[in-house]
Amino acid sequence: MNKAKNLAFSYSYILPSFILTVVLGIYPIAWAMRYMFYDYKGYGAEKFIGLDNFTRVLKDHEFWNSVVNTFVYAGGKLVLSIPLALILAVLLNQRIRGRNLLRAIIFMPTIISTAVMAVVFFTIFNSYNGILNQFLMKYKLIGSAVDWLGVDYSMLTVILVAVWGAVGNYMLLFLAGLQNIPEDVYESSALDGANKLQQFRYITIPMLGPVMQMIIMLAIINALKGYESIMVMTDGGPVGKTNVMFLYVYKLFFPTAGSGAATQIQEMGYGSAVAFVTAVIVGLITILYFYGSKRMSQYE
Amino acid sequence: MKIASRAVMWVFLLLVAFLTLFPVLITILGSFKTNAELTAGATVMPTIWQFSNYAEAWKQANFSTYTVNSLFVAVTSTIGILFVSSMAAYVVNRMEFPGKKAYVGMQAFTMFVAIGAVVLRPQFELMIKLHLHNTLWGVVLILISAHASAFFILQSFMTGIPKELDEAARIDGCSRGRTFWTIVLPLLTPGLGVCALFAFRGAWNEYLLPFVFTLSKPELQTLTVGLANLKYGVSAASQTHYMMAGACLSILPILVVYLFANKSFMKMTAGSLKG
Repeated sequence: MNKAKNLAFSYSYILPSFILTVVLGIYPIAWAMRYMFYDYKGYGAEKFIGLDNFTRVLKDHEFWNSVVNTFVYAGGKLVLSIPLALILAVLLNQRIRGRNLLRAIIFMPTIISTAVMAVVFFTIFNSYNGILNQFLMKYKLIGSAVDWLGVDYSMLTVILVAVWGAVGNYMLLFLAGLQNIPEDVYESSALDGANKLQQFRYITIPMLGPVMQMIIMLAIINALKGYESIMVMTDGGPVGKTNVMFLYVYKLFFPTAGSGAATQIQEMGYGSAVAFVTAVIVGLITILYFYGSKRMSQYE
Repeated sequence: MKIASRAVMWVFLLLVAFLTLFPVLITILGSFKTNAELTAGATVMPTIWQFSNYAEAWKQANFSTYTVNSLFVAVTSTIGILFVSSMAAYVVNRMEFPGKKAYVGMQAFTMFVAIGAVVLRPQFELMIKLHLHNTLWGVVLILISAHASAFFILQSFMTGIPKELDEAARIDGCSRGRTFWTIVLPLLTPGLGVCALFAFRGAWNEYLLPFVFTLSKPELQTLTVGLANLKYGVSAASQTHYMMAGACLSILPILVVYLFANKSFMKMTAGSLKG
């Protein structure tokens, strides 16, 4: 009797969470797994076409172009943000004046809306009467307006904006890892005559290994997944230069949303297949990285 | 030598801090400039402080509606997430029942599997069936459904509350439900606070979900959506000052929260690493 009562209590308390997760979290994934085998435009008839959507993905140049863009974007974001975050963490792990204030400032971008900041960055980088160009021209640093969101520089611009938003987060994660390294290791190495750079190379880096492996993995996944700020700033343009794969998926489902420059028609079935391939790509890279970086975690 | 390296360090740190603050400062200062002054880009401080920007954005650019909508979505979904995840975390932490492992596995699964915007479509269709697509409740429910991280955070906080406390209450004749609401939940306040911060931030800053759900319903749009739409509008160039004021309306409340709670934000982010 008591047991039945306990079970009833347990299930009734978990029920709201369970229902919401199944209906709004799991079901949509199952929905996509079904429609990836269908020709379905979001209205009218749905037709089962087997693996046709996947052969279409293989030949979809625009998609593979977006995959390449994603790698450039994610690579650029990682190469800039991880070292910067690590250096900041090491510096702000010292007992220096104002370190809490500096940490709070550098972490601040992570609490602000990506979409809102994308609008702000758009007004800053806009080539026509953007704040940055006006400023640079006023002080004669550039002769004519630079098209920061144009064909040549748009990828660099969206990477810089992404780095701005991400460094604080990774800095904080590195700081958490650094605080697990015992102080006396540094003290004894200093007695042995090691300087700061040597300590960094031979103590900090190896002892941070397992944590660093986790942080970089997190950073890779985040970088591959991010598209909100790109969507608001450039909408994947110009001419698909900043079109990343998750943005490409988005446009197959919501073609008219955004700047209104619709180039596609709605493709629910095909979009589901592309989304699946995208998820597989992210998963494969994560697994490859995990095995490739095993050496990093072998310190302890 | 030592002085030189310290100087380099400080120049570097201050430069990074400056670059981090710069876009936010530009926004705050810009929200007090005229459109002409903004697009000329020649000044740092506003020549004449245009406080009327806010009044105009509030009335003419509909930011009053957007702000109310953002508040509604953020507050209701935060409360919902706290209820749903604390109840689940309690039974998972304290009780044994068949399917517990599967439930925890499912929560972990939803955290790690990401297939992008695809899920928005079936979610939207579901809300049409439930007749919730013409209200913001659809958005709120979807935000509440993503409570896996809150669940895991509360789970770990729950472990820190001694089980003996529950048992003592039980012996005194307190039902399980009452034990949870009157004894465990008050002790969980720090964990709830942290989860509330994260849930509020997430909902307040959410863009894609309310954007897709309110495409043809401007009266339901949130701050992020209304603001981004200004950028797409035909008269975007003449509304930069509204954009800045609107951006401030979105940024400033959360910055104020951050001012008081930045330690909690940072501690929790660091804590997530240890799992």
